[in-house]
Amino acid sequence: MALLEIKNLHAEIDGKEILRGIDLTVNAGEVHAIMGPNGSGKSTLCHVLGGREGYEVTQGTITFDGQDLLEMETEERAVAGMLLGFQHPVEIPGVKNIYLLKEALNAKREAQGLDEVDTFSFMKQVRELVASMDMDDAFLHRGVNAGFSGGEKKRNEILQMLLLEPKLALLDETDSGLDIDALKVVSEGINRMRGEERGIILVTHYQRLLNYVEPDFVHVLYKGRIIKSGDKTLAHRLEAEGYQEILEEAS
Amino acid sequence: MRQELPDWLKTAMPETAVAPESIARAAREQVESLGLPGLRDEEWRWTNLRPIQRGNFAPAAGVGGDIEPANRLPFEDPIRLRFVDGVLEGVPGDLPEGLSIVALRDADATAREAAFSPTPSPSVEDPNDALVTLNTAMAHEGVVIDVAANAAIERPVVIEWLDGATEGSMSHPRVLIRLGQSAAATVVEHIEAVGDKPSWRNSVIVSTVAANAALTHVALGLDGDQRLATERSFAALERDARYHSYNVQLGGKVIRREYDIHVGGTGAHTDLIGLMMPRDRQVLDTHTRITHAAADTTSNEHYRSIADEHGRGVFKGRILIEQDAQRIEAYQSSNNLILSDNAEIDAKPELEIYADDVSCSHGATIGRLDEESLFYLRTRGIPMVEARALLIAGFAQEVIDEIPMDDLREWLSERVEAVLADRTGSNAG
Repeated sequence: MALLEIKNLHAEIDGKEILRGIDLTVNAGEVHAIMGPNGSGKSTLCHVLGGREGYEVTQGTITFDGQDLLEMETEERAVAGMLLGFQHPVEIPGVKNIYLLKEALNAKREAQGLDEVDTFSFMKQVRELVASMDMDDAFLHRGVNAGFSGGEKKRNEILQMLLLEPKLALLDETDSGLDIDALKVVSEGINRMRGEERGIILVTHYQRLLNYVEPDFVHVLYKGRIIKSGDKTLAHRLEAEGYQEILEEAS
Repeated sequence: MRQELPDWLKTAMPETAVAPESIARAAREQVESLGLPGLRDEEWRWTNLRPIQRGNFAPAAGVGGDIEPANRLPFEDPIRLRFVDGVLEGVPGDLPEGLSIVALRDADATAREAAFSPTPSPSVEDPNDALVTLNTAMAHEGVVIDVAANAAIERPVVIEWLDGATEGSMSHPRVLIRLGQSAAATVVEHIEAVGDKPSWRNSVIVSTVAANAALTHVALGLDGDQRLATERSFAALERDARYHSYNVQLGGKVIRREYDIHVGGTGAHTDLIGLMMPRDRQVLDTHTRITHAAADTTSNEHYRSIADEHGRGVFKGRILIEQDAQRIEAYQSSNNLILSDNAEIDAKPELEIYADDVSCSHGATIGRLDEESLFYLRTRGIPMVEARALLIAGFAQEVIDEIPMDDLREWLSERVEAVLADRTGSNAG
């Protein structure tokens, strides 16, 4: 059984069709990169998968781990194991990072029928992860993303993923706007998440990320459809030749 | 139009008061023509005192010493001054060196004069100041707190206003706080309803903060469905003095607090920080007025309201910068959250600047919970109801975080969470 199966997905926002028939299958253990120019529907796809209000699915199905994803609330999708990494993580001053991490982990554990995590082992695990993301412990007691730089916000997204261990990590332009040091730390984090049990979707505008995280499959999204799929060499071609060549070839 | 002084209030007018006779007489002569402030009076546009007007309150007689507050504040060794329905229960002995506390009626003439001569000075003829004038005419309870020069009082002085112990009681207590040069002290108003009977307290606190001294003034209005309170605080700051105010209002039927801060000495600074959480049909109102009367003075003001159900939050912040007061930094922000269609927020900044070298900013926001933040939390597996509660608590927490006392901060966070837990069960909207 595929981890994620998207069939003929059409979605619109404010009556305007953005996704026009997407088919995509992701199995556990695979890393997929979805690339595309601005306005191709990358963010819309992420929002629809996340269950964001305002997007209407007009046709098609999404099955996640055997369940009908479109029937699930956003929080149900999360505890079922699908985690969305934001292109622009929200600043929530007043809610401490440590508190969010604990609440999120306990929400997942509750869904799995497990007891709440014990504070000691939780803190130990979190501190290790913080160190591994090259972040300072002090960040834990600051507001969620409050006053963070772009790079810090993206590190925080990966940190949450490492803690919550989703079955499917969906990363929306996690690499955009990162300087090279932050990109390396973020990529290492993503590479650490790779595993037999987990699927990863990297939605990206730039090929650069794929030099650090090697995808198994690359898809080109254009005008709401996947117009071409291939292995990592497709990304290299995109970089060398630009989108235009591929678009012409596909049409 | 202002409201006429109700008969029960006229009847209750004493012939003598604790204020110096000339001051008391001037006040007495005015109260009847002033009446109570009404919606036409500029400073009273948003808060209707009809529940007082239509009440029938009598001066509290004192009910003895068996009244205890339900809330325990997290202070280790506070110096307690307990007022039950505005009647002082006695002055504690065993005070730390440098601190002296006497009942107002036992204070010397100079102290009594100071208690009734605040800076900035209210006017016996101004209807906006009618409640202070009424307090002056009627006060017979109160206390004088003196901190000697260079004394740093570690233990907080907690003034417990325990209201509503007897049916229909009113009180007009007056407090004087004087800090000598380079002194430091913390005064906490613990405000609690000890019964569900209607009550009205019209209290005035007058503070003078001498050069380089620092007064921290905390006000915690904790509860009360029938509690009416009109509370006014004056503070006069000399050179390099600091006045830090933290005002948290979580309950009461109609609560009106006013702060008049006279930043009168070079280098002086004031913080006015506040959180109000009106719900049910509560009206929680704070008016602040800061006067920068000297050069190189600073002020920082941060108020937040969270209005739920039919609750109303009112904030008006006035900053006046006098002509010769150059190089002023004055910041004010008022952020407000509306959680229900029936809740209401009135927020108004008011700047009056006569100097030319000032750095001054203000901002007021009124909004609902941020959809993007809610979505973010839900993508982390946090259910809608909890995500909402988390965001609301977080909004309040940003004010609580400014309180410098660790234990109190934690205590208040829990208190606010309890208030919110109360709502999330019944109303997720």
